[in-house]
Amino acid sequence: MAADSTRTQTESRIERLLQKDWTPYLIFALPLLFLVLFLFWPLATTVLRALSGPGFDIDLGNLSLENFNRFVTSPMYQRSLRNSFVVSVSSVVFASLIGLPMGYFVARVKMPFKNLFLSIGILPIIMPSFIGAFSWVILLGRQGIIRHFLNQIFMPFGIVIPSIYGLWGIIFAMSLTYFPFVFLLSYGAFSAANPMLEEAAMMMGARRPRIMRTITLPLVIPSLGAGAILVFIRSMGNYGIPAILGGDQYVLPTLTYFRVTGFWDLNSAAAIAMVSVAITGAALLLQKYVISRREYETVSSSRSEQHLHTHWLARLIAVAYCTLVLIVAMLPNITIIIMSFFEQWRGLFPTGFTLENYLRIPRMVSSEIFNSLFLSITASFITAVLGCMVAYITERRRPKGAVILDLAVMAPFILPGIVVSVALLSAFSGDTVLPLGGTFMIILIAFVVRRTPYVFRSVVASLTQLDETLEESSMIMGANWLYTFRRVTLPLIMSGIIAGTILTFATLLQELSTTILLYSARTRTVPVRIFSAVQDGYFGQGAALSVMLLVTVFIVVYAMNRMLGRSISSSFKLG
Amino acid sequence: MSLSMTYEGVEKVFDPEGRNPVRALNSVSFTIEPGELFCLLGPSGCGKTTLLRCTAGLESITGGKIYYGERDVTTIPPFRRNIGMVFQSFALYPHMSVYENVAYGMRVRKVPEETIRTKVTEIMDLVGLPDVLKRNPSPTALSGGQKQRVAVARALVYDPEILLLDEPLANLDAKLRRRMRAEIRRIQKVTGITTIFVTHDQEEAMAIGDRLAVLRDGNVEQLGSSGELYHEPQNAFVANFIGKMNFFHGNVASAAGANRESPVRIGNELEIRPHSERIKLEGPLSPGQDVLVGARPENLSITNVSSAAGEAGGSGGGIVGRVNVIQNLGQITRYEVVVDDAYAIDALEVDMYAPVDGVTEGDEVAVQVNGEKALLFAPETVADTVAEEEEVS
Repeated sequence: MAADSTRTQTESRIERLLQKDWTPYLIFALPLLFLVLFLFWPLATTVLRALSGPGFDIDLGNLSLENFNRFVTSPMYQRSLRNSFVVSVSSVVFASLIGLPMGYFVARVKMPFKNLFLSIGILPIIMPSFIGAFSWVILLGRQGIIRHFLNQIFMPFGIVIPSIYGLWGIIFAMSLTYFPFVFLLSYGAFSAANPMLEEAAMMMGARRPRIMRTITLPLVIPSLGAGAILVFIRSMGNYGIPAILGGDQYVLPTLTYFRVTGFWDLNSAAAIAMVSVAITGAALLLQKYVISRREYETVSSSRSEQHLHTHWLARLIAVAYCTLVLIVAMLPNITIIIMSFFEQWRGLFPTGFTLENYLRIPRMVSSEIFNSLFLSITASFITAVLGCMVAYITERRRPKGAVILDLAVMAPFILPGIVVSVALLSAFSGDTVLPLGGTFMIILIAFVVRRTPYVFRSVVASLTQLDETLEESSMIMGANWLYTFRRVTLPLIMSGIIAGTILTFATLLQELSTTILLYSARTRTVPVRIFSAVQDGYFGQGAALSVMLLVTVFIVVYAMNRMLGRSISSSFKLG
Repeated sequence: MSLSMTYEGVEKVFDPEGRNPVRALNSVSFTIEPGELFCLLGPSGCGKTTLLRCTAGLESITGGKIYYGERDVTTIPPFRRNIGMVFQSFALYPHMSVYENVAYGMRVRKVPEETIRTKVTEIMDLVGLPDVLKRNPSPTALSGGQKQRVAVARALVYDPEILLLDEPLANLDAKLRRRMRAEIRRIQKVTGITTIFVTHDQEEAMAIGDRLAVLRDGNVEQLGSSGELYHEPQNAFVANFIGKMNFFHGNVASAAGANRESPVRIGNELEIRPHSERIKLEGPLSPGQDVLVGARPENLSITNVSSAAGEAGGSGGGIVGRVNVIQNLGQITRYEVVVDDAYAIDALEVDMYAPVDGVTEGDEVAVQVNGEKALLFAPETVADTVAEEEEVS
């Protein structure tokens, strides 16, 4: 009897397994495999290398903290670490000082061109940051035109404007690149805050400054925190700006690069990479801790309108401020465009008008253009598929390990590009099971690992808005998982996928910090070429290539937003 | 040919291996007859929607079996069950036209285009939307009632064996809800499909269902027709959930007679003698035992205290209370009377066919109970169910 019942139990269990629709599980195994192979394994080897002593060999029998020890013994390591801190924290401070008032003005002051400010405000983070750094060299470098001009005025008074090279230059360029994060997030918070909260304070007799201090600003702190952490992470991982403007000042990404290319000392590069990941991770935790105690429901349920400041002085200040910030932020792009038509720009005006910079492009960099397009398109496509899959699993299936998958796919958010490169080099360069050093493959993998989170987030956002009963009703009507996904889920989340993918494409086209360690003569991309042109002093050629890149990126992002009927500033959440 | 539906000891535990498993269904067993319109009724969180989702196969069950007719479908995934379902949100596809929405189930089944066209036209006629099909807009352009009809059409068009309706009227306004429930009953009777209708609205359930099951905490409390549930509730919970019930604290006065009938006292003022069929307690009644006396508003009456004292006098006078609110509802006049906590659980609701002379709000009145129609229940807490009944999800 007992044996009989156990047999029927096993039978019914087998029956249950056979009845189940296994297609989703088979399909979902793919991203997991990818993540294990190209994220977990490289990160594991990075850790092993970091603990293996300087050089290139992994010595499991002799693990030590020697690589980390250098942060105590070597002055160069110490200075880089300190510089990274100073740069990132200062960038956060200055980006907030620039972005917060701008967010307030655009949200709360009655002023013209609001949409224009919002659209242009996004550009600095969509445009390649190393190109911005490059044009600051033109403007404020040793021979920089603005510097030259200002020095002529101030020299008689004994004031000399320093050149842009050095820490302050890096901070300056980074703040102007990343302030849109603060601007757009605080703009969102300022315009979504329930105006009745401020009105209530007014009823209770509070004056404007007090309301600002006790009601308005505290309410935007969560958004400000979110913006600040984005600025911090980006500044920490940015390679292009300190590489161009750093002079003799190193930060962690440039130090990493230096260890790898200068000494082929992958193991200590791994240690530096780990330190920078630890810092960003700690910053993220700190932000979570600070913000979690200040989560407010800032979105108002009633649709009462914000009271906009209408006083002419307020409007004047607001418009003047926003215009000034945007002009300064857009100055690099304008400079680059002018520069691209001239041979030299050493005085107040550029000299030697020419189209040669552009005419040379097809001859000199056709293979780079091909590489950039090939890598970006392929990687975007893979990213779309992968990000879509993982988003679907974690959002809809919620298997037991979904949290790990979720974390894994979000991890690259805090991994700077150069860290991903170091990890991939650790695992796949030289004499390994899967030697990928110098191939297109390794760049592709780096791109995909780094950009999947963006598509992932975009798709998760669409999925959470998609009523689950739409899929359930399809199942009820007799469709299996694949049919349901094809006919119901996919069409409805398509715009999220497209938005995420196109933005991925636009950012990959300008990717430098990942590629810089991974490229070989065969796989060089356009940004790498611009970078080396700038370093070698071929400003005209670099500028022409930059303009080409800027225009392409702008057209892609603009076309996508037009196509999906969204405002251009909505894309910053992904970029 | 419509099918019966059988639940056999169905259990559902959410998160069984987790730290706090939630028992949503507790050994549910009953049978729904072929062609029946069956209502699952209960307050939110009672397990009615879980039972429906388990019936559909959207949730797996952790114990027991579910049969469609003779077929055990316990382990069969929803898409192999041949059922139709209408969701509370309607779940119409915004990226497809109305026609494509309705045709979806048949496209899945690879039905030839010809047949799809005739069947879609037929079903849209049945649900009363032949004109919508001519314009064939996106379902987002439809009104609530139209969406509802399209959802019903979409669930019925491919001739499913069972139709499941998950609070299908909850998203409609009150007036439309009344009309649509009659519509759903009409369509169900035309097609003769075995149907399960989930709702938390007792009025809706009583109006639409051939039979109802009242659920609480994953248990079926009672199963029967609207009339049975209203007139013969098995316990205080059902009594309170179906229609309005006044509850008194009663006490068995003396030993029961041959057919369990025994006098029950409410305080010192009232003594009633409920019919033996209306005693819903287990076992014999012993003197001094506490019971819960239930009486519908129409089985209570009030008299003016001053006149009552003059005419009847003594113990027949009833429980004295104060009139809180008087609502004239046309056919009846409803008195809300506050009495001492020692007598009743809550304020009493008394329905009189004519206003009582000389009684205004704030007056003292005496409340009498029609002992014949009163019910006896085991004491339990019933107050919270009143609040949940009001809840609209």
